[in-house]
Amino acid sequence: MNLLDIRNLSIELETPTGRILAVDHVSLSMKEGEVRGLVGESGSGKSLLAQAIIGVLEDKWHVHADRFHWRGIDLLRLSIEERKALLCKDIAMIFQEPMSCLVPTTTIGAQLSEALDNKQFTGYFWQKTKQRKEAVIKLLHKVGIKKHDVCINSYPHQLTEAICQRVMIAIALAGQPILLIADEPTAAMESTNQGQIFRLLASLNQLKNMSILSISHDLENITHWTNTITVMYSGQFVEAGTTQQIFTKPMHPYTRALVDSSPQANLQIPVKSRLMTLPGSIPILKHLPIGCRLGPRCPRAQQACVIAPKVNNFHGHKVSCHFPLKKEPLRTEPSRKEALNKCDTEQVVSKEIF
Amino acid sequence: MAREKIYQEEIFPSPFMQLWLIFRRTPVAMLGFTCFLFLIFFAIFAPLLAPYSPVEGHLDMILLPPAWHPDGNVSFLLGTDELGRDMLSRLMYGTSLTFGLSFIVVIISLVIGVIIGSLSALTKGFKSSFLNHFLDVVLSIPSLLLAIIIVAILGPGISNTVWAIVIVLIPQFIHITRYAVKEEFRKDYVLASRLDGASNFRILHYSVLPNIVERIMSQATLAQSTAILEIATLGFLGLGAQIPLPEWGAILANGLERFYIAPWTVYLPGLAILFAVVTTNLVGEGMRHALKLRKES
Amino acid sequence: MLIFTLRRISLFIFTMLILAMVSFSLSFLFPGKSVINLSGQINATPSQLITLNQNYQTDKSIISQFGSYLSHIASGDLGQSMASQSPIANEIAKLLPATIELSLVALFIAMSIGIPLGFIAAINHNKASDNAILSFAMVGYSIPVFWLGLLAILFFSIGLGWLPSAGQISLLFEIEYVTGIQFIDILLSDSPYKWQAFNDASAHIILPACVVSLAPATIFIRLSRASMIEVLATGYIRAARAKGLSSRQIIFRHAIRNALIKIVRHIGLQFANLVTIAMVTEVIFSWPGIGRWLIESIYQRDYTAIQSGLLVLSCFIFIVHILTDFIYAALNPLARGNKHGS
Repeated sequence: MNLLDIRNLSIELETPTGRILAVDHVSLSMKEGEVRGLVGESGSGKSLLAQAIIGVLEDKWHVHADRFHWRGIDLLRLSIEERKALLCKDIAMIFQEPMSCLVPTTTIGAQLSEALDNKQFTGYFWQKTKQRKEAVIKLLHKVGIKKHDVCINSYPHQLTEAICQRVMIAIALAGQPILLIADEPTAAMESTNQGQIFRLLASLNQLKNMSILSISHDLENITHWTNTITVMYSGQFVEAGTTQQIFTKPMHPYTRALVDSSPQANLQIPVKSRLMTLPGSIPILKHLPIGCRLGPRCPRAQQACVIAPKVNNFHGHKVSCHFPLKKEPLRTEPSRKEALNKCDTEQVVSKEIF
Repeated sequence: MAREKIYQEEIFPSPFMQLWLIFRRTPVAMLGFTCFLFLIFFAIFAPLLAPYSPVEGHLDMILLPPAWHPDGNVSFLLGTDELGRDMLSRLMYGTSLTFGLSFIVVIISLVIGVIIGSLSALTKGFKSSFLNHFLDVVLSIPSLLLAIIIVAILGPGISNTVWAIVIVLIPQFIHITRYAVKEEFRKDYVLASRLDGASNFRILHYSVLPNIVERIMSQATLAQSTAILEIATLGFLGLGAQIPLPEWGAILANGLERFYIAPWTVYLPGLAILFAVVTTNLVGEGMRHALKLRKES
Repeated sequence: MLIFTLRRISLFIFTMLILAMVSFSLSFLFPGKSVINLSGQINATPSQLITLNQNYQTDKSIISQFGSYLSHIASGDLGQSMASQSPIANEIAKLLPATIELSLVALFIAMSIGIPLGFIAAINHNKASDNAILSFAMVGYSIPVFWLGLLAILFFSIGLGWLPSAGQISLLFEIEYVTGIQFIDILLSDSPYKWQAFNDASAHIILPACVVSLAPATIFIRLSRASMIEVLATGYIRAARAKGLSSRQIIFRHAIRNALIKIVRHIGLQFANLVTIAMVTEVIFSWPGIGRWLIESIYQRDYTAIQSGLLVLSCFIFIVHILTDFIYAALNPLARGNKHGS
């Protein structure tokens, strides 16, 4: 049974000039114990999607979906309070820039004990306080903070970013969630700390069978730590599949471009040649293209791309494109030049047709 | 041969036009703006519009209540005071005194303050620090107190009141201009102009001032509401407009003696002052609100 | 902390010097001989005039005159009032506490009404109650304070007869003067009618304090609303919501504390504003404070009183500023940076 099953989720923004579709019919599903990566540039709507799942968006965003199931329960039929109550218990979220996500005027210890559920403690008032303290220390040990005394009595601005992120993970773990959504948790850290945080998340996944939805813009980094990946572009669903499928055989031109632009794919390029990128930049909310939003930048775009493509499923590898790249294996050394040539000929071919 | 437009062009209005379009969309701000124009109109054309003279009294019509009261007379729409002077005419002439003078006061102090402020923002080092401290001191003395003291030195009278309030408002404009100009100078487009070889004055006049105009305008509306209240307060305390000038605060002070038998001589000028200040504040708030919305969109 | 203290003390001394200079120059700007303006003895005989000239060193240069003026102030001699011929320092010592009492009560009322209303407006941002509170704030800010005082007297004292309209306490009670602050004096005195005196004094102070507190209350509404809106948009409130805390818990436990921190600094700055408004209100309610005394001196052209009153009032306001800055910096280590302008 799927843990989380979302079909055709759309998020609209209210502006004085009308409603803008920020996230356009995206589907996402997660199984128990799975680590899924959600990849996209900044502006692709991935953070919006995560916040919509957990329900912390403001009133100016409107969320619709065809299907929104959590562990088999249909969430669209519940009222907002019931939905929030159900989801807050089972889903936890950690954010970018952990220091600004901790309340600056309370100690870490107080914030941690706030996240603990009151019902798990028994006995009289002083017994409960003692149990609370022990639970806080246990949580801190679980995320790898040994000096819990110093940590409990300090304020967020006195700690480093990496420790703050661990504290945030501890706060998230306090509710014993089944799904942890990590919204670019390591964006503000050096690579050594990044590795530590990801190792921690991986160990939590293995030990407690906790599913993780890891949001990032760095495709290459995320492929080390995830089982499955979903790629988004400008609020639209692009591709989803296992990490192996996405990284070795990307079917969507955008995923292909992402993979090509990673440093590892460019190890064999000759000196002083251009890096492979897509021309142009991500469209802004005011000027979104109709149909497939990659259209203006895509090297394989044709007239059919003004209609939004449907999702095609090739053995569990889902792509949303009218002209997916089906037969090109990537990641072999001389293939880059061939890939370049192929791209050129395809462009020439498409231009002739057009 | 007429050609129709085939492509829909998007119009990109200038920042000032954008501000005006947003301002126009807020009904409350437009209401305030219309009332503001209304008051300016009255301030200029009061001598033509007022039914009676503000200083001549009709000794047979003393202390008439307003027209809607059973004892009132329709030809004296808002009643008369103890010397038989028509309240409506006095209030109208008072518009040009309280409101009109406040407008002039704000414009004078704005010009002087902006010039001094922008020139002083160019200084650095000891002079700048000294000016900072001096401004700190002057700004920490409450404006009303300072105005009262200056009037105490110069003597009572409406022209001295005007000078006193000008002197009090200038430091506020200096402070805000200095702060805004210093902030703009740190930005990159000023650096680009400087690298192009522009002199300080040219940067100030061409690049920086158009960008800080809106902040200065918003401060000007705040200053005007302060100025109206101060002219009225000084008039009330007897330090401003002297009798028989129909300044609103002075009219109020005048009516104070017969407060219990003729309360309208106290209500009406107060309402007029309230109306003028609320109008100015509405325009100012509308402008600040439009500025905020323009920054967000 | 030490450097901050030194800077603040140097600013304080600098300001006191400038205020003294301004006050000193007033004696030359006012009509009449400067030495008479300084000392206040208008009916001086020629021999007294000679002693005065020696005292204030009028035959020497301006700097030494300024020096002698400073020494007079430092020794507590502010001259004599031209109208009452009694030493000004004594009069001010009696009147200043009454103004402080009125201002403190008004500040307290303004804070307790303004800050919660601002928070409520921010929590219901862009809804009906937000707009209603903002409109109320705008009208409250625009009402001329003297008109409001008169209306209050008309309505509450004369119309409804609930509250008295003049003075600090009814003349029937004979409370000894100890500190000048009526409530403390009542508590310290041993009159048999202590409780009634207290009630009477409270009744006397409510109306003027409410009138004075209206404009600062609207400023507090605006400040606290802006501060709370800023706090509610931060990352940690969003994270707390994701943690599962209810709106109520978030607001009461975290948002209010963080929003208050930003406003605390302004509370001290509002005091100056408040004292000025109190001055005008004292005239209307015949409250025996320094504001009414100063304005009456202006009517009576009592130049010595005006000079000394200005000096004392400005010094007092500036001392309150510096104290607030100091307390705020002591509590919040992040605020000890470089600050220019208010």
